[in-house]
Amino acid sequence: MIETLLTPLHYEYMVKAILVSGLIGGVCAFLSCFVTLKGWSLMGDALSHSVVPGVAVAYIVGLPFAAGAFITGLLAALGMGFVKTKTALREDAVIGVVFTAFFALGLLLISLNPSSVDLRTIVFGNILGISDPDIWQVVIISAVTLVVLGLKWRDLLLFCFDPNQARSLGLNVRVLHFTLLTLLSATAVAALQTVGACLVVAMLVTPGATAYLLTDRFGKMLGIASVMGVGSSLVGAYASYYFDGSTGGCIVTLQSAIFVLALVFAPKHGLLATRSLRHAAS
Amino acid sequence: MSEPLSIDVRDVTVAYPNGNVALHDATFHLAAGTICALVGVNGSGKSTLFKAVMGFVKPVRGSVSLGGLSLREAQRRNLVAYVPQAEEVDWTFPVSVWDVVMMGRYGYMNFLRIPRAEDRRVAEESLARVGMIEFRDRQIGELSGGQKKRVFLARALAQRARVILLDEPFTGVDVKTEEAIVELLRELRSAGHLMLVSTHNLGSVPEFCDHVVLINRTVLAYGPTDEIFTEENLARTFGGVLRHFRFDESTIQKHDGRAVTVLTDDERPLVFGKGGHLEYSRRQEHEKVVEERAEEPDDK
Ligand SMILES: Nc1ncnc2c1ncn2[C@@H]1O[C@H](COP(=O)(O)OP(=O)(O)OP(=O)(O)O)[C@@H](O)[C@H]1O
Ligand SMILES: [Mg+2]
Repeated sequence: MIETLLTPLHYEYMVKAILVSGLIGGVCAFLSCFVTLKGWSLMGDALSHSVVPGVAVAYIVGLPFAAGAFITGLLAALGMGFVKTKTALREDAVIGVVFTAFFALGLLLISLNPSSVDLRTIVFGNILGISDPDIWQVVIISAVTLVVLGLKWRDLLLFCFDPNQARSLGLNVRVLHFTLLTLLSATAVAALQTVGACLVVAMLVTPGATAYLLTDRFGKMLGIASVMGVGSSLVGAYASYYFDGSTGGCIVTLQSAIFVLALVFAPKHGLLATRSLRHAAS
Repeated sequence: MSEPLSIDVRDVTVAYPNGNVALHDATFHLAAGTICALVGVNGSGKSTLFKAVMGFVKPVRGSVSLGGLSLREAQRRNLVAYVPQAEEVDWTFPVSVWDVVMMGRYGYMNFLRIPRAEDRRVAEESLARVGMIEFRDRQIGELSGGQKKRVFLARALAQRARVILLDEPFTGVDVKTEEAIVELLRELRSAGHLMLVSTHNLGSVPEFCDHVVLINRTVLAYGPTDEIFTEENLARTFGGVLRHFRFDESTIQKHDGRAVTVLTDDERPLVFGKGGHLEYSRRQEHEKVVEERAEEPDDK
């Protein structure tokens, strides 16, 4: 029994995959609290798709994939900001137009160079085959993100809650906005390897959304989301060995299941709680 | 504590990205130790003027300075605070009353924004001053309209600002809370603060505001209340959209004499004649009432 449970850990590639997933899951979850509260879920989705052409170019010319991804991610963010200020289009339309443009360009580049990049790796992730240099990129991105968030989370919280108050205290709102956007792009890049471009947004939204259902204090929300992010990623990656299924699929399915549990059973905002309250009142 | 501050708004013109010029060539000056009402119809640019004074929107023309300091410098020194209109706040946000008041102290904290004993003391004192200390651990959405207003007022107090802008602090607030807020504003005025308050509650303006700024897309008039708050100026500001109760057009008759009671919780007054019968503002629609009452014997 124990022997079967431990088999995945006998393989070095599995141990690496599990640990890297846990790290990324935690970083994404931490950031997801800000993303959900700021209403940037769509933005997370957009950035994770916009990094694809950058990854493609980076592989083709032999640069670290993170550099390329990061540049196109930021270009997309700037592009969205530009289109939004220059037109009266709704934000969701702007995001939709810009990120699909980037994603399409990425697909085109990859299809023109099938030998140097594997489309499946980018779109669905391939954590089991992650190379050591890629692991280092992920570790560095995660460390920087965690340090910045750890030092400046109170400022970022104020920026999400009441940017006007932030400005009237003399904080530089533009810098805060850019910081959050940069962290989001960087994290999307790191998560790309684990779950792929399609599912990055789940890692960047679901833990925060779940924690939001379970508490109405930001500090607790950070804690709950992080534990959930790390836990579900470790367990999901580990479990994917037995299913022989997609790692990203395992992790995100697990997170979604936890979300549904929270939706039903949350003590204050859950479906059951609201129902019994209504019963008690009537 | 720092020196009293004045506000200088000169030729401020604000245009929104959709090309709408919400405010043009607005000019006024206010000295410290003042409660000033900002009065105008919906859409006249009150909130816009606040946003310009706070630097939330950048004027296309004109300047705002506070006691000779640029806006940016004044904000860096925590001299200006803003109490937002209730609609501008996300009440579902997972922060408590205490967290919100603490946000007023950020400007005094270090790089990591870790509160020191002094910050906690000031926050506590500010909450106590608005009578909200027992609600400190509530999530902000779980408060009544008046309590919400007081929390954000406490944040402005915690910031120790010299200039406080309040956008419609009295909407959705009962008479008792309004009195409490007015009392607090008076205390702050005696301490040399400058408050700019937008309000639709015209009746209360002469009660507690010593200055007024009348606005309709631009500043129409500003100055001491007794000089500026005239019928003529108000008619100009509101262009005939004010609610009237004119005694000569109403069902009030001679027998009511001077024993008329006027009640108002906000804008439209409720008027009772002598003996407590209800009066209507327009005679034409209530001819029967007038006839019935005419039969009652008039007092001498
Ligand atoms: N973000 C915006 N974009 C474009 N136009 C705006 C924007 N905000 C306000 N306006 C317009 O500017 C004008 C002034 O609006 P403002 O909010 O300053 O009015 P107000 O005097 O505060 O009104 P109220 O009494 O209803 O609060 C209005 O015509 C409004 O439609
Ligand atoms: Mg307004």
